[in-house]
Amino acid sequence: MAELIVKDVALRLGDNEILKGVSLAVPAGEVVALLGPSGSGKTTLLRAVAGLETPHRGSIAIGDRVFFDAARGIDLPAEERGLGLVFQSYALWPHRTVFDNVAYGLKLRKVPAEEIKTRVEKTLSQIGLGHLAARYPHQLSGGQQQRVAIARALVYEPPVILLDEPLSNLDAKLREEARAWLRTLIVTLGLSAIHVTHDQVEAMAIADRIVLLDAGLIAQEGPPTALYNEPSKLFSAEFMGSNNRLEGKLVENSGGKATIEVMGERLTGLSRTKAAAGEKATGVIRIERVHCASSPGPNRVKMELKAPMYLGERWELVFARDNVTVRAYATAPLEPGDHFVEFPTDALWVF
Amino acid sequence: MPIVVYRLLVLGLTTLAVAAPLSLVIYQSFLTAPFFDPSAKFGFAAYSFVFNDPDFWQAFWTTIVIAGGMAAIAVPLGALLAFLMVRTDVPGRNYLEPLILIPIFVSAVVIAFGYVVAIGPVGIFSTLAKDLIGFVPWNLYSLLALIVIAGLTHVPHVYLYSAAALRGLSTDLEEAARVSGANPFRVAVNVSLPMILPAILFAGVLVFFLGFELFGLPLVLGDPQDVLVLSTYLYKLTNKLGVPSYQLMAVVVVAIIAITAPLVFMQRLLLRQAQRYVSVRGKGLKTQPLRLHGWRWFAFGAIVFWLFITVVVPLFGITLRSFVVTWGEGVKLFDVLTLDHYRELTEYPNVIRGILNTLGIGVIGGAIAVACYTAIALAVHRWNSGWTRLVDYLVMVPRAMPGLVAGLALLWVFLFVPFLSPLKSTMVSIWLAYTIVWLAYGMRLVSGTLLQVGPELEEAARTAGANDLRVKRDVTVPLIKYGMLASWLLVFLIFVREYSTGIYLLGPGTEVIGSLLVSLWGTGAVDLVSALSVVNVVMIGVGLAVAVRLGVRLHG
Repeated sequence: MAELIVKDVALRLGDNEILKGVSLAVPAGEVVALLGPSGSGKTTLLRAVAGLETPHRGSIAIGDRVFFDAARGIDLPAEERGLGLVFQSYALWPHRTVFDNVAYGLKLRKVPAEEIKTRVEKTLSQIGLGHLAARYPHQLSGGQQQRVAIARALVYEPPVILLDEPLSNLDAKLREEARAWLRTLIVTLGLSAIHVTHDQVEAMAIADRIVLLDAGLIAQEGPPTALYNEPSKLFSAEFMGSNNRLEGKLVENSGGKATIEVMGERLTGLSRTKAAAGEKATGVIRIERVHCASSPGPNRVKMELKAPMYLGERWELVFARDNVTVRAYATAPLEPGDHFVEFPTDALWVF
Repeated sequence: MPIVVYRLLVLGLTTLAVAAPLSLVIYQSFLTAPFFDPSAKFGFAAYSFVFNDPDFWQAFWTTIVIAGGMAAIAVPLGALLAFLMVRTDVPGRNYLEPLILIPIFVSAVVIAFGYVVAIGPVGIFSTLAKDLIGFVPWNLYSLLALIVIAGLTHVPHVYLYSAAALRGLSTDLEEAARVSGANPFRVAVNVSLPMILPAILFAGVLVFFLGFELFGLPLVLGDPQDVLVLSTYLYKLTNKLGVPSYQLMAVVVVAIIAITAPLVFMQRLLLRQAQRYVSVRGKGLKTQPLRLHGWRWFAFGAIVFWLFITVVVPLFGITLRSFVVTWGEGVKLFDVLTLDHYRELTEYPNVIRGILNTLGIGVIGGAIAVACYTAIALAVHRWNSGWTRLVDYLVMVPRAMPGLVAGLALLWVFLFVPFLSPLKSTMVSIWLAYTIVWLAYGMRLVSGTLLQVGPELEEAARTAGANDLRVKRDVTVPLIKYGMLASWLLVFLIFVREYSTGIYLLGPGTEVIGSLLVSLWGTGAVDLVSALSVVNVVMIGVGLAVAVRLGVRLHG
């Protein structure tokens, strides 16, 4: 199997510029997550790859099979691209049984009936639904329907499987189980996949690489650890994880370190900006990296504890001072009153 | 076959079916004699004849008065009826709903015959009134009676659109008015009805338009006092000069279409506006009915009274008449009871053929018509192209041709095109005329069903490897099966009811109940007409019962 390559794809829906030039590569055997807020164009990009939307610029190809090329006037219809697509709503055909839903792609490929039977049964048992082949979609639970939708897209062994928010219709508990199940399935079968989601935890759990989209452009891409630990832009830093945001003025910016003035105190962090001293800057730090200390020190600010909240496995503490609110986690509640809140330099990014 | 070929084929055939009759009529209107007459030349003689005929202008103004009058009656009553049925706790709403729609499904000629035998000068109710109070307090053969009856029988049309709009409105605005101290009637007049004004306006234009299509009522009720409307003027024109005066008829047809076509276009604009209005306002769908308290039974009584006048009186009249030898003053019911009229029906081979043909056109013709409508709807379904707009307008064109007119135009097509002539005296001609006349209605039914198919179900098949036609065959059509079945039932009902479209096509082999009734009425065979009317009503009643039982929505 060859690499899926998307080059400089731009797409308009009506007057709306949804994609503004997106390039992306999915090597064989890799799972790429398209992550972004709603309206960022991630589903549109997926549909363009599937052949359900037509871009006005760019090209899409797998190896030397060109799916789409605006310059050369090539636009292969969806049915000739041979990809597998799992819809957010599953889109199972209500008038066909589970077996017939899964078998349809093979029937279209004129596979002999005997072989269809063995292949569908094999796929259904891989997803753990071998015993439900005769049921109709409406007789299945949401989680089972989702698995059938995946089986239907897998059965004819497409080079790449496209997943459009496949877990978003499941309730929270089921979603976590399905996430683990899906990752296992993808690894076991060695699939190449593009997985669209707005849930960053899901993206990090399932994907080998994350492509973060913002308003039709790629904001940042890389392995999940890189996206989480080394955001290059304010957008990526704020989109991933849960964060504290500190608005302030840049005091110093040199040697990869930057110092900002917040609440009248100075905090030093890793520089992610080219701005000069005196300009406005924003500090971002993940909630879990904020510490509480008992004494003053570098990068520590005295703040008042407003509200401790019990979350079950830990406590969340809300500190405030001069209209600035900072959240932190703790294993035990603290006494109300003033505390020293530490923002470690290697965890604080200044944009 | 690639999808493009299929689409162009369907588009071409539809254009042909719609445009051929229309262009033949326009062509004929500019000839000085019938098109088959070798002496026919181009000229405006026919136009000047018709436009100088005082009867034409008389008919024209009468039509306007009747159309305006029936809209003035039907619109307020229909809107109020919708408010009562949708928004309040009137007793027995679920049972009343199908009854309210009966006047839409019963043939207008049957209703007209029913009124004649029930409240005509020697009608069943008239003689009863004379026995009780010494005189008949109404005069059926007057323009006023014609307007009132036309108005009352068109209340359901207004009701349908107003009710649909009301169902899309949130109820809290009404509850707010109620809490502020408005009684139910004021709530309706001050709050609910103003909010659905676009829908009511649309219904008003629709009823005014239907006024130009009226044929059965003015033919039966207007004739004895020489009240002519455009459609009956056209019908009488057949015999006016003794020779076939096709060119004159063509001019009248062009005149009618010149009025109805803008009305159809206006309806389209208004409907779109009405839907936009509702979709903006229509949010939460709480269905807590407005409590009428003391008004409850008063409102119920008013609805039942309207039903009595528009449904019970004519249908009871025609049914009773079909079982008696004669009727008049001093006749005792038990002396005159008979089944002879039904026996008599079986003695006329053309009547037997008419009944069988009507069943056939409803069941088989209806099925083929729905298949055609589906083929057209599928051709434009998910077609991203300007051609779909052309189809939109194309299917509207026959709507502007009243049935009588369309039947006439089709007759000419069959006479004009040599290889079609042998089909003229078969049911194929009737089927084609019916299918074209009801094209817009049928398309609306089928497209409504298609709208409910989620696009992702089709996209899933595309990505699985099915081409456009395969997707339609394997996914779209199986998913709209139930909707097609429902459309079939509704098309059956209107095909069985239809009377005006078949009139000009009536001949040995093409008899249907509707056109037979009109021609038998002309010969004065009241006994046969009433028996045959009851047969027609029973067929429609069975169809309606099946539809209600299957839960088919009785409106598109």
